Amino acid sequence: MDRKTEEDQFSQNDAILSSALKQKMAYLNDLSESITKGNDLKVYELIDPNRFATEANGETLTETKPDHYGLASDLNAQLSHHLSDQLIDYLGKTYPFFYYHEYELGKFHIYFGNWWDHRLFGELDPINVRFNFSEEAYGMLAKSFQLELENKRVNDDEMRQLGEENEKLTQLIEDQDKRDQKKEAVRKQLKENEEKSPMPWEAGKVKEAHQQLTDALLELTNIDEQATNARPKIKENENKILALSKEETILNLEKQNIRASFGSFDAFNDSNDHLYAKYIQNLTAESQVKDDE
Amino acid sequence: MSNESESTKTMTTGQLLTSYGEAIKAGLDNGYQYVKAFDQLNDTTDQAELLAAAVQLTNYQLNADFVVFPHQFSDEDVQLIFLERILQLANVGNSLQISNPDHVQKLLCKFAALGDQTFTFTKSTKNTTGFFFGPTDYNRPLFYLNLATKELLFHGASLIDYFVVDLQGTDVADLKATLQVLLKVAEILKEHFGFKIDFNVLDGINNEFYKFAAGDVSESIMDELFVKSADNQFILMADQNGGASLNLDHDIQLKVYNMGSADRPQWGASIHDPDQKESFVYLLLDYPFIQEWYLDNKKQLGILSNQLIFG
Repeated sequence: MDRKTEEDQFSQNDAILSSALKQKMAYLNDLSESITKGNDLKVYELIDPNRFATEANGETLTETKPDHYGLASDLNAQLSHHLSDQLIDYLGKTYPFFYYHEYELGKFHIYFGNWWDHRLFGELDPINVRFNFSEEAYGMLAKSFQLELENKRVNDDEMRQLGEENEKLTQLIEDQDKRDQKKEAVRKQLKENEEKSPMPWEAGKVKEAHQQLTDALLELTNIDEQATNARPKIKENENKILALSKEETILNLEKQNIRASFGSFDAFNDSNDHLYAKYIQNLTAESQVKDDE
Repeated sequence: MSNESESTKTMTTGQLLTSYGEAIKAGLDNGYQYVKAFDQLNDTTDQAELLAAAVQLTNYQLNADFVVFPHQFSDEDVQLIFLERILQLANVGNSLQISNPDHVQKLLCKFAALGDQTFTFTKSTKNTTGFFFGPTDYNRPLFYLNLATKELLFHGASLIDYFVVDLQGTDVADLKATLQVLLKVAEILKEHFGFKIDFNVLDGINNEFYKFAAGDVSESIMDELFVKSADNQFILMADQNGGASLNLDHDIQLKVYNMGSADRPQWGASIHDPDQKESFVYLLLDYPFIQEWYLDNKKQLGILSNQLIFG
């Protein structure tokens, strides 16, 4: 290689490098400027230009667009905090039943409703405009919607079972007098049995009767013991039933709210799946209104 | 010397009769003063004179060594007559009436809206001039009245026990009409006589804090209110600092929260309404599910009253 070609190659390389750096600087400038101006639409384009083009604007890309987000991704928390401001305003109108708590910079818990003991329902991801619902919380709601079609509730079986158990326990307590009378009778029979001096050929029979009576007495005292422990057990079951009805009350409120805003659970899910596109379109519409002014 | 000591030992007949006569006169005069005060209690239209007469007659020593009056009104009777008279002077005399004026001693009264239920005063064992007013059939001190110290204190738990539990099934309008008479008494005593009043559960002023007996309230108690509210189409909302609020009809809002600290909790309730009329008792009468919640958990939720007076 002669010296000239070598120099050319070097200068060409420098030109590429310099242009690439300029592109990056332009990217960071753009990002910085969009943030100062509050142009979240542009920020979203800069964060993920490919998703922005395809998902929000419905473009079909022949080649992927350059994505420089890696340059700013260490500022995720701050960016997320910045973007949450407008996003939560928007969600306040479209998902009026969700409440957010920024538990650390840029990270948001979602609460369903502001009623007593509302459920922590997942997290909000402002950078990706996405709900990350807790599997457990969402799963229970989905199940509740599902069971509703069969006229059932999530906790029906368990509540019925606890209710029946409490009825039985109450009965045990109420039957104490009857059992006391029975025990008295059995004891009397036992005494009579023991006072017998049977003929040898009847001894087996008398012994057998004695065993039966002893067993019957034992059985009755066992039930007595259950009855003695019944009250705390009933209270415990009542508390369980209360917790389960609370859960049902909460699920009911969640379902009511979803119906009021979306009509159905399917429509709610569909809206969640297209949240990014809908939000970007909303920002676009808003920026056009601003331009027109 | 001997003559002098003699004269201190024995009295002449003349001296004896004189001192006897003086003792009788003093006794009669005492009786006359008593009757005068009674006339004043019965007739005066001047409120200050009315109170003065009642105070004078309370703990009045009518009997003396030489003059004993067999028919006397009790101190409790005096309080009841006073009560009837201040309502008469306020032109609401029909609302409460002494029901057995043909008896002397232990007068009873009835409220127009409560039919045959009779009420009377009972003397406090702690304060000589203090009296408890309550139904004759139940031991419920509804309020404490002390005319000498100018105090009237309502007893929250007794008011609830009587009007909400004992009289269950009575028309709520009649219960409220009766409570209204008690409020009227308090209002008269406050406005015209400058009494210090503790309205307790009858206080309709917004932000009046009704303290719960237990101080702390377990989560399950709040859960129960949440579930019962939802069953009745009301939603218990989460409020600041772990409290809760419930929006009811006619812009009435019930708040349940901790006024104390985390270490020394003092949970209680307050009621907010535009007219500042809804009190805790009214709320229990108006909303059966809140009543059920309160009575289910009375041990913890019982509303505290002045423990020095009622304890």
